[in-house]
Amino acid sequence: MEIFFIVTLLIVISLLSILIKKRTFVEIISLSGSLIVLYLSFLIALKVSNTGSDYVLFNFFSINSLSAIIIMIVSLICFGVNIYSIPYFRKETDKNIIGFSRVRQYYIFLNLFLASMFLAVSASNPIVSWIFIEATTLSTAFLISFYNKSSSIEAAWKYLIINSVGLLLGFFGMLLYFTSISPDSGNGLISWNLLLSNVSHLDPIIAKIAFIFVLIGFGTKVGFVPMHTWKPDAYSKAPAPLGALLSGALLPIAFFIILKFKVITDMAIGPLFTKNLLIFFGLISIATASLIMFNSKNYKRLLAYSSIENAGVIALGFGFGGIGIFAAILHMIYHSFVKSIMFFSSGNLLLKYNSDKINKIKGALKVLPITSVLFIIGFLIVTGIPPFGIFLTKVNILSAGIKIYPIITFISLFFMSIVFIGFLKHISNMFFSENDENIVPGEDNIWLLIPPSIFVILLIILSFYIPPFLNNLIYNSTLIY
Amino acid sequence: MSILFLQFLLEMMFLTLVFLHILKKNSEVVFAYIIQSILISLVLFDSFIETGNILMLWVILCVLIVKVILGPLFFYRLIKRDALAFSVSTYLNSPLTLIFISSITFMAFSKNLLPVTNIIPLHHILLSLSLSMIFLSLFLIINRKGALSQIIGVLSLENSIIMFIIFAGLEQSPGLQIGIIFDIFVWIIISTVFASMIYNKFGSLDVTEMNKLKD
Repeated sequence: MEIFFIVTLLIVISLLSILIKKRTFVEIISLSGSLIVLYLSFLIALKVSNTGSDYVLFNFFSINSLSAIIIMIVSLICFGVNIYSIPYFRKETDKNIIGFSRVRQYYIFLNLFLASMFLAVSASNPIVSWIFIEATTLSTAFLISFYNKSSSIEAAWKYLIINSVGLLLGFFGMLLYFTSISPDSGNGLISWNLLLSNVSHLDPIIAKIAFIFVLIGFGTKVGFVPMHTWKPDAYSKAPAPLGALLSGALLPIAFFIILKFKVITDMAIGPLFTKNLLIFFGLISIATASLIMFNSKNYKRLLAYSSIENAGVIALGFGFGGIGIFAAILHMIYHSFVKSIMFFSSGNLLLKYNSDKINKIKGALKVLPITSVLFIIGFLIVTGIPPFGIFLTKVNILSAGIKIYPIITFISLFFMSIVFIGFLKHISNMFFSENDENIVPGEDNIWLLIPPSIFVILLIILSFYIPPFLNNLIYNSTLIY
Repeated sequence: MSILFLQFLLEMMFLTLVFLHILKKNSEVVFAYIIQSILISLVLFDSFIETGNILMLWVILCVLIVKVILGPLFFYRLIKRDALAFSVSTYLNSPLTLIFISSITFMAFSKNLLPVTNIIPLHHILLSLSLSMIFLSLFLIINRKGALSQIIGVLSLENSIIMFIIFAGLEQSPGLQIGIIFDIFVWIIISTVFASMIYNKFGSLDVTEMNKLKD
């Protein structure tokens, strides 16, 4: 019943946020709710890990190892976002950037967004998953246009149209898979399991066409190049806590749907076709993102391109196969947490400097020492510097690819190095330059530092020790995908 | 209903899409969408007659309420409130647009896409036409500069996919169909609100006027 409680709780919180007139209450119920969601998510993960089988409820929810991992990721980021949002938006209110109605709007849509994500990842029916992935687009569009500026409305419009078109194409691809099922079976409710059991009836060419549509459709949500164009705009215009959720939580969910269809396609036509496509999209995403990151002028857009690059790395992992899959799942976890660190730190920078332009951030290490250290640690982790976990996942992904695809592996390695150099250039400009005397040094609020610090500690622990239950989940996921 | 009548409905839908590419007035674009949605309802009604599933009537009712009444109502209110008599231009001129439409339609009927259009061999022509409508809707979204036209383009894409689903025998349970229509309804509301916000901020629905996003 845990997943049912999670979704119900989030919807109730969203509705209560409409009714409650006091800001503190809205914040407290959302924060308390996220704590309960976190607890329930871990219960689900433990159940799936211990039993080794899918968690099924009412024939509507079905959670396997990978969805259990994603549910944990979403709930952890959701908790972090809830802690961070309180001081962040209070600070913005003090600066007269937003009022209570905006904050209330934020909590309404935030909790709807979270509920949609949990439903999308846990639904046993692909169409239901699609409906709730579309719901994530609808619930976040208003959050991207949160500040009601021309640029944020433009970003939200781009996000809405590009993602809607992408998801409709994904929907079309999804339906092509249904051709394997005779009209009499399933009573019109086609589950993932039914699709798998009927895979032998799937026409190989239709399977190929369907997977291309699914990859383009849900790949738009993941942010693969060339469907990525909404991402830098949306990330840079959305409030910082939402950036963490978009990058850390929504990306793995869209990826999860692609992987579900990858399994079906692989069973129908063998794994080579999907692997090659994932490698292709992975490589062009890494290459494009690295080149743009080098000349980026906006640190929030820089983080968006970093997400595109990491989506590419994960795609490469699944494309290369073998140890690459284990590393890709682990990379997904690390990436989600490190992006939370970086988006929270970028929010602190934005509050202090009132600008998201890289050239406006001068001497941040002296102005915001703890935030700067957190951001720099985030940079070291995300670019794959040892001894952090991403270093190992990248090494494992590349080592999985080097035997079969040596040229692609070397090209990927080259562009990953470009990412490091480009990022380092921006880091040195932002943090190690002379500070602006007009900016008063000092951190704004201790509570703005706690969520990113928690994620740093979590990432350091996970870099050296993976709890047995999580290891179990990753291992079981590797066997499926 | 006979297959010939269904083919006639589909051809009418195809024509509305061609008109959507040519029409210049926003109100006419919305009207073409209404016609398209009524045609969808008729095709769904045929599905009800064939299956006898009473829940299909609810689906048809939802389609009529959302796509024929409420959606267009929102669009007309937007047009009236902001005096948006004319939609903005297209990227390609009319002759080039028509050439593109012909090429796309030809492509949908090509042998390369036979596996998709031959899902039910008896419906080969219907499926080819539905597929060409999917491509034409995508082209509409890309070619039009007006936000309202883009909204209609997305909705038309959804209509085209539904047509394909019906003729490919891939219809989902009525409950799921209502879920999808609800999604579309929320999408219509949100996109209309955004179109209104775009007009308020940029003084136009021309998306090429939106150039505030710089690095």
